Amino acid sequence: MTLTILRRVLAAVGVLLLISLFTFLIFFWLSPDPAVQICGKTCTPERIDQIRTQLGLNLPFWEQYWQFLSGIFTGRTYGEGAAAIDCAAPCLGFSFQTNESVTDMIVARMPVSVTLAIGAALLWLLAGIGGGLLSAVKQGTGWDRGVMMTALAGISLPNYFVALLLQYLLVVQLRWLPFPQSVTFAEDPLLWFQSYLMPWLVLAFGYAAMYSRIVRTNVIDTLGQNFMRTARAKGLDGPIVLRRHALRPSLTPVVTLFGMDFAGLLGGALITETVFGLNGVGKLTADSIAKNDQPVIMGVTLLAAALVVVANMLVDVAYTYLDPRVRVKSA
Amino acid sequence: MSLASPRTISIPVPGSTLLEVEHLTVTFPTSAGPVDVVKDASFRVESGDTLGIVGESGSGKSMTSLAIMGLLPRGGTATGSIRLNGHELLGRTDREMRRVRGDKVAMVFQDPLSSLNPYYTVGLQIEEAYRAHNGGSRRNARTVTIEALERVRIADAARRVDHYPHQFSGGMRQRIMIAMALCLEPDLLIADEPTTALDVTVQAQILDLLAELQRETGTGMIFITHDLAVVSQVAQDVLVMKDGAQVESGTAEEIFSNPRAAYTRALLDALPRIDDPFDELKGAAR
Repeated sequence: MTLTILRRVLAAVGVLLLISLFTFLIFFWLSPDPAVQICGKTCTPERIDQIRTQLGLNLPFWEQYWQFLSGIFTGRTYGEGAAAIDCAAPCLGFSFQTNESVTDMIVARMPVSVTLAIGAALLWLLAGIGGGLLSAVKQGTGWDRGVMMTALAGISLPNYFVALLLQYLLVVQLRWLPFPQSVTFAEDPLLWFQSYLMPWLVLAFGYAAMYSRIVRTNVIDTLGQNFMRTARAKGLDGPIVLRRHALRPSLTPVVTLFGMDFAGLLGGALITETVFGLNGVGKLTADSIAKNDQPVIMGVTLLAAALVVVANMLVDVAYTYLDPRVRVKSA
Repeated sequence: MSLASPRTISIPVPGSTLLEVEHLTVTFPTSAGPVDVVKDASFRVESGDTLGIVGESGSGKSMTSLAIMGLLPRGGTATGSIRLNGHELLGRTDREMRRVRGDKVAMVFQDPLSSLNPYYTVGLQIEEAYRAHNGGSRRNARTVTIEALERVRIADAARRVDHYPHQFSGGMRQRIMIAMALCLEPDLLIADEPTTALDVTVQAQILDLLAELQRETGTGMIFITHDLAVVSQVAQDVLVMKDGAQVESGTAEEIFSNPRAAYTRALLDALPRIDDPFDELKGAAR
């Protein structure tokens, strides 16, 4: 058991190293020279050289990569003497456009993305699993068709469209909600909730649509299993048969999906955050791409990858508890 | 059999009619109109006896058993009469049938692995069958469960009760299914191809076990199979089905020594015989 987990962790570390290497390679080769960008229009070759030295861009690839990697664990210093810039560990790079360390920028945006992810996740799990179950148990009825039609809409309508529609309806037309504002929970709990409600709904709609379809398929599949017939042949009560025998096999696969999706959202909901002007990691990503702020793009890319890898690992571990066939080897 | 069980054991009088099925017809709606998958089947099972129902796939033998259990797949309807100890089962509500299932009529299915829920220990799955009808504490149900596992000769039952289905071999799983079916001491046990998924030696062990348990408890049994050799070992009476219709019925001896229907003769001819000198595939020649 411990060995299994240890193996997983080692594999995850390996994957993360590879991802960091590839990300680094891409930016090393493909993107325009950051020194030129920072230097601006009135630039001399000497000045460019100076910046290159300061950023370590004059070094060979492996040395740059090594500096980047070790920076994550020990921090690093850009330049020398009075002009030196300290980037404390875990240093994911330094943005010379904003003069902030990438780590600080991400940490500052994280709370918004986490809030967004948690709220949306609660909503979509509730709606997705509930809808899927209802739809499966009432298969072929109006309930089933209603849920599946809604799900189809959720899957096919783009996020930004739903977001704009919702804003138009709830804020402009019906005036049920104020314009979303960036307040913290401590400042104004009600406004905080009202501001997050629409982004939560928009994000949750898409995911709930997918989840309800998957849960429906899983439940219908489970209902056709032989052990369901056995359960009924024992004389068990209908609801008990459903609750005890159908639910667990149907919902266990959803855990895998949820781990990935949730981790993905922690890495930023690019579209939703942008549409609603939420200052999260997704917005940061979008902004850095627009400005071609490479250290930041690389930082958020690595973060997103790391989150998914870690989530994947956690899901694997969770599975050993959820599915006895994974947990205990046959005797 | 058990001190923990509050139930009184009434061994039914041998020779009295346990199950009486008359003119049973099972119908399913299809896009091409209703289809009868069982047509006008009539048979009876005496207490303590075994009726073998023989037929190929799609002959309606499994649908017959599901009709008795009131577990026909969605859309299926049964007409005619099914009487257990003189009480009509057809037309009962699901709630009423629930009390019959497991308690009065229990079932053992073909594939024991898929018939057990992989997410729960075998103990829990037997316990819940017992508790669904007898209530009582988990501890009591657990005692009954361990005893039931011991009765089907599962070694180290007190430890094995907490194992999951995938930790058992195929034969062991079928023993568990039998333990589950018999822990409530049903009047009738329906075994639907219980040995088909097992290899021949294990099959023999399971058949022996079933025969032994039947002697102990006096349970009546319906044994469904496509295998005439198996039927000849376990059943006193035999019913041969084809395409939902009853082709022939009678005592095992009558059927095997003097088959009247051409289909039964064909089935018998298909059996390999150790004293058959001419060893050629008979079906292939035609």
